[in-house]
Amino acid sequence: MLHLLEYWAARLALFGVDLLPAAAASRWAAALGSLWWTADRPRRRVAISNILRAGLADDTRQARAIGRGAARHMGMVLVESMKSSLVLDDPERLRVDIPEDVAAVLEDPDRGLILVSGHFGNWEIAGQWLSRYKPVAGISRPMTNPRVQKLALERRPRRAFRMIPKYDPDPGRFLKLLGDGEILALLVDQHARQGIDVPFFGHPAKTHTTAAMLHLVARTPLVFAVCRRTAPMTFELSLSPLIEQQRSGDRNADVEAIVRTLNSLLEEAIRRDPEQYLWGHRRWR
Amino acid sequence: MDADGASEVLARLRDVLRDSAVEEHDWDAVVAETPIESLGFDSLTILDVLYDVEEEFGIALDPKQVVKTRTVGEIIALLQQNGA
Repeated sequence: MLHLLEYWAARLALFGVDLLPAAAASRWAAALGSLWWTADRPRRRVAISNILRAGLADDTRQARAIGRGAARHMGMVLVESMKSSLVLDDPERLRVDIPEDVAAVLEDPDRGLILVSGHFGNWEIAGQWLSRYKPVAGISRPMTNPRVQKLALERRPRRAFRMIPKYDPDPGRFLKLLGDGEILALLVDQHARQGIDVPFFGHPAKTHTTAAMLHLVARTPLVFAVCRRTAPMTFELSLSPLIEQQRSGDRNADVEAIVRTLNSLLEEAIRRDPEQYLWGHRRWR
Repeated sequence: MDADGASEVLARLRDVLRDSAVEEHDWDAVVAETPIESLGFDSLTILDVLYDVEEEFGIALDPKQVVKTRTVGEIIALLQQNGA
């Protein structure tokens, strides 16, 4: 029943998106996000609990305000991703900050890049924009709602940005892709059943290790990306300098060092704009 | 390929696989002809194994070469080419 409700909410949002200019469509999606916040009690409770646990609100009232803002933000992300062509070629709408060491990798067709981010700001815009340099493959887990998933995949313009499934029988596919000089994009802030416990806002959270292991094994450069909204349909995309971890011979220690760095970079972005983060996910289990 | 050398590399490789792999497997039954795809690795667990193999043999493998291998024997040959 909830899936059907979400699907029709998405269809309604798309109807509005198609009819309205971008800024108005963005406001329309934010209003729907706010409605969703009111309707989806379980996720609302998770979000409030997460915000309080992260120490970003002093009380439930403040946490609720951040959570509602984040729900509005997620509505806007959906619209922005579908209208991304308005943003991608307009330097007034997308300011980009790329350190020299990362630019050198992006401009070298033979070098792959591991691009890491979280469900913060508009990660889709980041992936789509960076695909001007080389193909970008984003690892995705199917949405819990298959109807919304199908709708989203049909509607988003992606340029050279494609989604690849999280699970695949070919064990060498990530190595092949990076060896071919592509960008592998990963969001590392969802609960990872087989991950390692690393602090996230001071509390242990099972965290994915794939990006770290690929950096260590394939010796591919690793970078963290943040694409924050600064105004409606306007963004600032910042890439960190290359994150480099020398191998010590202790696999677990090397992985943990990298994952801690990635988590702290994500925390930094969230502390700055807590309303641009997906709080409705059960990060700490 | 040096047969004695290959046997020794295979024995050390089995030990690494035994220690690194998450899935249960009869590692003593692994021979040069064993297809890699039968070992049950996925795109994540293979990375743990490769890290540990490189540490065990003190070498760095080229991932482009690794993904071309189809059998354990081909991995052994690659390790030997790299000085194992």
